[in-house]
Amino acid sequence: MAERLSRPAAGVLAALVAVPLLALVVRAFADEWRAPALVPQQFGLRGVEVAFSGSSGEAFGNSLVVALAAAALALLLAWPAARVLGERRLRHPAPVFLLLAMPLLVPSYAVGTGLTEWFIRLDLDGTLPALVAGHLTFVLPYVILVLLSGFGPRLTALEEVAQVNGLSPLRRMLWVTLPAAAPTVGAAALIGFLVSWSDYGTSLAVGGGRPMLPVVLLPFVGADPQVAATLALLFLAPAVAVLALAVRAGRMPL
Amino acid sequence: MTGARWRSGARDAALLTPALAVLALLFGGAIVGVTRVSLIPLGQNASLDAWRDLFGDPLFGDAVVFTLRTALISTTLAALVALGLALAAQRRGTLVRSLLALPVPVPHLLVATVAVVWLAPGGLADRILGGLPVTLVRDSGGLGIVLVYVYKEAPFLLLLVLAALGRGHQESDEAAAALGVTPLQRLRWVTWPTVRSPLVVGSIVVFAFALGAFEVPLAVGPSYPPTIAEYARQATQGDLISGQSTAAATLLLSAAGSIALAALAVRAARDPQGG
Repeated sequence: MAERLSRPAAGVLAALVAVPLLALVVRAFADEWRAPALVPQQFGLRGVEVAFSGSSGEAFGNSLVVALAAAALALLLAWPAARVLGERRLRHPAPVFLLLAMPLLVPSYAVGTGLTEWFIRLDLDGTLPALVAGHLTFVLPYVILVLLSGFGPRLTALEEVAQVNGLSPLRRMLWVTLPAAAPTVGAAALIGFLVSWSDYGTSLAVGGGRPMLPVVLLPFVGADPQVAATLALLFLAPAVAVLALAVRAGRMPL
Repeated sequence: MTGARWRSGARDAALLTPALAVLALLFGGAIVGVTRVSLIPLGQNASLDAWRDLFGDPLFGDAVVFTLRTALISTTLAALVALGLALAAQRRGTLVRSLLALPVPVPHLLVATVAVVWLAPGGLADRILGGLPVTLVRDSGGLGIVLVYVYKEAPFLLLLVLAALGRGHQESDEAAAALGVTPLQRLRWVTWPTVRSPLVVGSIVVFAFALGAFEVPLAVGPSYPPTIAEYARQATQGDLISGQSTAAATLLLSAAGSIALAALAVRAARDPQGG
């Protein structure tokens, strides 16, 4: 017999996620928090001031631009490929999936180091297009793998009905295909954005000193926990946005 | 009929080409680039010096053992936790499943930062409990690295397993139960074959990530031994010319190891006697 939702279990799980993150907020605004006190001795904005006095603002902008560009480019490239793979039209799909899996198995720092060799020759090292290209190596396979789950016989049948009813290819795309595939497209875009946003290895190798948020955050984790917590909250913002969108999408009728 | 099939095949190939060409160019270019750097140091002739240095360095041996150990323990624990949670959560509501999946979109570095705030010496857990019985952050055994990976990766594997445990599995499981099959036998003959493939594929991705990433080891790992990726990064900070080649050789070896282990795991998962 199927069990009903267990509220205590949900409460414990929510606490397991929320409490550690709440501590991050307190840590970010605790100017003085000496052990063994459980409550900070003094609250303040030192963390925010130090975090934004350096290159963090620029790093946030760079990470945002690169992640948005990589996710958008990946969606454009992935759409036709995901249709073919999702509708199982290939007789021998294994080599294609092997190529998609390869970048996910190789350290991102290795890919970044290898690409930097070429970017230096092309005078692109450390530029935003180079970072987008580097991130695309990992973002594109994830986006294709998520997107292909949105295509299949159900969508094909809907499109055939629309075609029989005389809808032009453009109207079929706008009125049938896009609305039906929208949740999967949204999920693929968010996964693509987050893969790029979280990437450390490629950003470090290809960035050539250009600040990216994870690269700026890491040295503070050991050196200054308050600044690290402030930057971590900044780093968390898109994940919270993802969660809010996912909850909203979950409430929408299909 | 044959002509129509040929046209359809050609159209599919044309649709696949943009994505696959970009991927092949970027990934292939990266592998060629990193191989080139490992063999031809900046402004010098081709040599195998970087590879010789690598295999002659005892620190590299320590890094390989430490990395393989932490990656293997993290992946195994994450897979076991995911499997246990999936069996417990498969018939629970959407809220429990959503909460279990919450850490998936959170970046690894953020989880590592939270781990330092809570679990480092003098951290919140230390203060609340009046002292932790074991060192969890920056300990020589890499316990902090394992904890962060298990917290972050178990929910990812859980999502894959729960997706496999759909209505089809529930019907098979109920049919087996009606026939008097014991819970343990159902787990062995109904549930395990259903979840084996997604769990193995997911575990390969987790293992490869743990093998090659260095933000978590840098944040919560020990200063010695380094992981393989940390070893590569340290090499680039030493000698400007030979360091790049040593780092490239290290990364190439790590990549080859990941791919070889993934191939073995996929083969084992396909083997009907393997599970």
